[in-house]
Amino acid sequence: MRAWDVLTFTITVLSRQRFRALMLLLAIGVGVCSVIALTALGEGARGYVLEQFSFLGTDTLVILPGRQETTGGMPPLTGAATRDITLADAEAIRDFVPGVRRVAPIVLGAAEIRYQSRARETIVMGTTADFLRIRQLQRATGSNLPDADFDQAQPFAVVGGKVQRELFGGRSAVGHWLRIGNRRFRVIGVLSGRGDSFGLDLSDAVLVPVASAQQLFNRHGMFRVLVGVHPGRNRQAAQRQIEQLMQSRHQGERDVTIVSPDAILAGFSQIMGSLTVLVASIAAISLLVAGIMTMNIMLISVRSRTEEIGLLMALGASPGQVRMLFLIEAGSMAAAGACAGVVAGFILVAVGRALYPEVPFQVPVRVVLAGVGTAVMTALFFAWIPARQAAALPPVTALLKGH
Amino acid sequence: MIELREVTRRFEVGDETVFGLHEISLTVPQGEYVSVSGPSGSGKSTLLNVLGLLDRPDAGEYLLAGEATRRLGEERRAALRRQHVGFVFQAYHLIPRMTARENIELPMVLGGMAPAERRRRSDLALERLGLSERATHLPRQLSGGQRQRVAIGRAIVLEPALLLADEPTGNLDSEASAEVTALLESLNANGITLLVVTHDPDTARRAHRRLRMLDGRIVQDQAGPARES
Amino acid sequence: MSRMRAADSLYWIYRSLVASPLRTALTSLGIAIGIAAVALLTSIGEGARVYMLGTFTQFGTHIVAVTPGKTETMGLSGLLSTVKPLTLEDAFALRRLPFVTAMAPVVQGTGRIESPTRARDANIIGASHETALAWRMRVMRGKFLPADDPQAPRAYAVLGSKLHSELFPSGGALGSHLRVGGMRFRVIGVLESKGQFLGFDLDDMIYIPARRALQLFNREGLMEIDVVFSAKTTSEHMSSLVRERLRKRHGREDFTLFTQEDMLATLDRVLTIMKVAIGALGTISLLVGGVGVLTIMTTSLQERVSEIGLMRAIGCTRVQLALLFLGEAVALAVIGGVAGLLLVYAGLIVLALAVPGLPVLLQPVYALLALLLSVLVGLVAGTVPALRASALDPIEALHAD
Repeated sequence: MRAWDVLTFTITVLSRQRFRALMLLLAIGVGVCSVIALTALGEGARGYVLEQFSFLGTDTLVILPGRQETTGGMPPLTGAATRDITLADAEAIRDFVPGVRRVAPIVLGAAEIRYQSRARETIVMGTTADFLRIRQLQRATGSNLPDADFDQAQPFAVVGGKVQRELFGGRSAVGHWLRIGNRRFRVIGVLSGRGDSFGLDLSDAVLVPVASAQQLFNRHGMFRVLVGVHPGRNRQAAQRQIEQLMQSRHQGERDVTIVSPDAILAGFSQIMGSLTVLVASIAAISLLVAGIMTMNIMLISVRSRTEEIGLLMALGASPGQVRMLFLIEAGSMAAAGACAGVVAGFILVAVGRALYPEVPFQVPVRVVLAGVGTAVMTALFFAWIPARQAAALPPVTALLKGH
Repeated sequence: MIELREVTRRFEVGDETVFGLHEISLTVPQGEYVSVSGPSGSGKSTLLNVLGLLDRPDAGEYLLAGEATRRLGEERRAALRRQHVGFVFQAYHLIPRMTARENIELPMVLGGMAPAERRRRSDLALERLGLSERATHLPRQLSGGQRQRVAIGRAIVLEPALLLADEPTGNLDSEASAEVTALLESLNANGITLLVVTHDPDTARRAHRRLRMLDGRIVQDQAGPARES
Repeated sequence: MSRMRAADSLYWIYRSLVASPLRTALTSLGIAIGIAAVALLTSIGEGARVYMLGTFTQFGTHIVAVTPGKTETMGLSGLLSTVKPLTLEDAFALRRLPFVTAMAPVVQGTGRIESPTRARDANIIGASHETALAWRMRVMRGKFLPADDPQAPRAYAVLGSKLHSELFPSGGALGSHLRVGGMRFRVIGVLESKGQFLGFDLDDMIYIPARRALQLFNREGLMEIDVVFSAKTTSEHMSSLVRERLRKRHGREDFTLFTQEDMLATLDRVLTIMKVAIGALGTISLLVGGVGVLTIMTTSLQERVSEIGLMRAIGCTRVQLALLFLGEAVALAVIGGVAGLLLVYAGLIVLALAVPGLPVLLQPVYALLALLLSVLVGLVAGTVPALRASALDPIEALHAD
């Protein structure tokens, strides 16, 4: 039989059993569509989270005071340790570790800030000009913190957008003096954007020179030190050298923890990826159900068309051809259903993109191929028995049974 | 038993109206043996369907056992059907997955009769039909005549007053045909009103009252013993 | 005499289903897989929820936690330096409130802990003598920190079980001296194992008096104060007492309160949503299985048109007919539901053998719900075919062959 004839034959058969064909299409379509939609959701969530942390860049290291040997635990996030990381430590890292481009020591606190009659409790971060550069933060107006020595406590402040809105109404905060605790600071810049990260909303924060924050909170040790490594330089080497430097400065004790954010993010990304695969696989169970339904429908189809099969054989069709006709019938239904599912899936993805433009929903091509492939292969697998049954019918019985 | 008053049933075929029944009035008393004949499309099947409450007239009134039926709801019509009417079809219409006994018991099952009573009645029917040996056979294991006897058993098991037979011997050879006809006539002799729709002039002639239909009208209504020819 | 007996209806449905056993089996198998997916995923979700809630309730539910600072910066508030810190004096002032049964000040950090023979970098917790009570920790050997003068507590330390075995592998911890960040402490107790909590190994810790921890970390303020209260009052009332007392001491509200009750409620809500979402993944398969039932019922309707005609002719009402078909669809789905539950139990047994200790359990309630769900699927999938069957014109149906 020629391909065209097979196709028209199949289409005729399917259109005669429109309802069954449609339902099978629906079943397979639902399966493929949910695989695609769920993968897009997982990939979108992964992309979204990674994007949230993209400011950390690939060339950043975070140094935390303290160290613990507990395996598999969290890094010592509290910032409290028996030995502090001092400003001098941060300076030494900046000056003596090759490959280190930027160092932003951080003292973090919360305090009430006041402008005229308005007051607000916000986060106050003592840091350096490099913080904005490492974190790739943009300013709406004004300038960055001055590039001064770490220990210079200047009364300058860069405020987040929300702080400007809440304390200064609509007006620009630049040039005005505000009060943090019992000290006065002059606003020299305003951050733009949200700068949301690690549960820390920088738009609702005030940045001041690190030495000023030390005085303000009466804290000597750093909460964290951010280190920016020269792009292209070996980050692991820099990490090792910082460890060695800190050890030698702390009388041979290794008492800091160095975290490389993109290593953590890579681990996270991998976990999210595995979760997405798992969820999509659970959705793909529905394709198994659709496959069983295919078998059921094909069995009915073979039985109700016994006479037709006999006629085909009487006219010279070989068992192989009969089998092929039935397999093609099942395969084409599965393919059509899978295509419909792909279309529906992409429509859902498009709706998702329209509703949540900030989430990068996407469907990898391999998932589409895998979804369609699984659907068609499952259908063919389950259609094999009915097709063989049809081919094995003796022509005489087949013809007689119609009467 | 049956009273039709100017009953009309129309069908729309394409854009023209065809009369299945055209202002037919007919009275059939209890116990009569009536045959209906006529060419295809003359309205005999429509008449049978209306009499069996399967179809509803567009105009006129149909009284079955004294009850006006045209405006009754479907549920009530189904109940009347179960109570008063038995059907016998040319194609038997037995449920293929059920045994002879189960097929006969079906109307009683639908009516919610207790199993013991059903069993008693189906036993009786099977015996009367000479099918006691075949009670547990499936329809495909029975001959044509036996199948039609099972169908008749099913039609009369609730002791209806009216038995409607649509070409009951159409699918049977002459021997089985004679057997089935004899069975139907013996039922009639015991008081059931029998109405047979048939193509076959020989079968039609056997009835006490013979109707001929053409284009939805009764064109001939003969009573008394048929002339032998 | 117009209603069919229930037994007769069931028998009719049974005969219809066994008339084509393979078809029935395949249709039910589709539902079975769907039901199994829903039930298994839901019980995994429920297991995770119970496990998570258990992790949190191990500290008890009658706790109000106070953290410094008014800004709500998820999880960070206790770690920030503040102009006006929560002090140990605040903590003991809260201890004197009515209904309070225990109070645990929290200062946490890391440091090097040296025994005479070994050293380990581990977590250090500043605590009060009631911390063990507040956090429901049990002392395995020795005793917990004594009720010393909070301003000048003795340099005693209590070890978590893991830290104990790391520092004193051959025992003899009680009475011996440790150096923690350069200060000397005497070990007076070892705790029973408590396991992990949110990534913290609660056993790899050392507990020292809060005052000394503050000195060690060179801090003024506590990260948190946990106030445990008796069941005689409510979370709200306790919160308001705490708030009032602290406001009086600080002059304004520069702290944040969390009640364990609120947190558990929030957590439970989140976990329940997750459970439902996980279960919903399974309903995709169930949906497809339902489409299978619909298709098969419609097909079988088409094959049985003349039978339907006959049924009407011998007095079967439309309602009866619809109910019979609906019943057949429900039966298909319920067979699938039962088979699905068997699949789940088989799966759970395999899972239990493969991963011992996983808290996955199919509660009878969920099994019952799964069965109800299959009935629902049968009803939904069977409605259209049933209505179509009952709407067939008996005359045309009779002549359908």
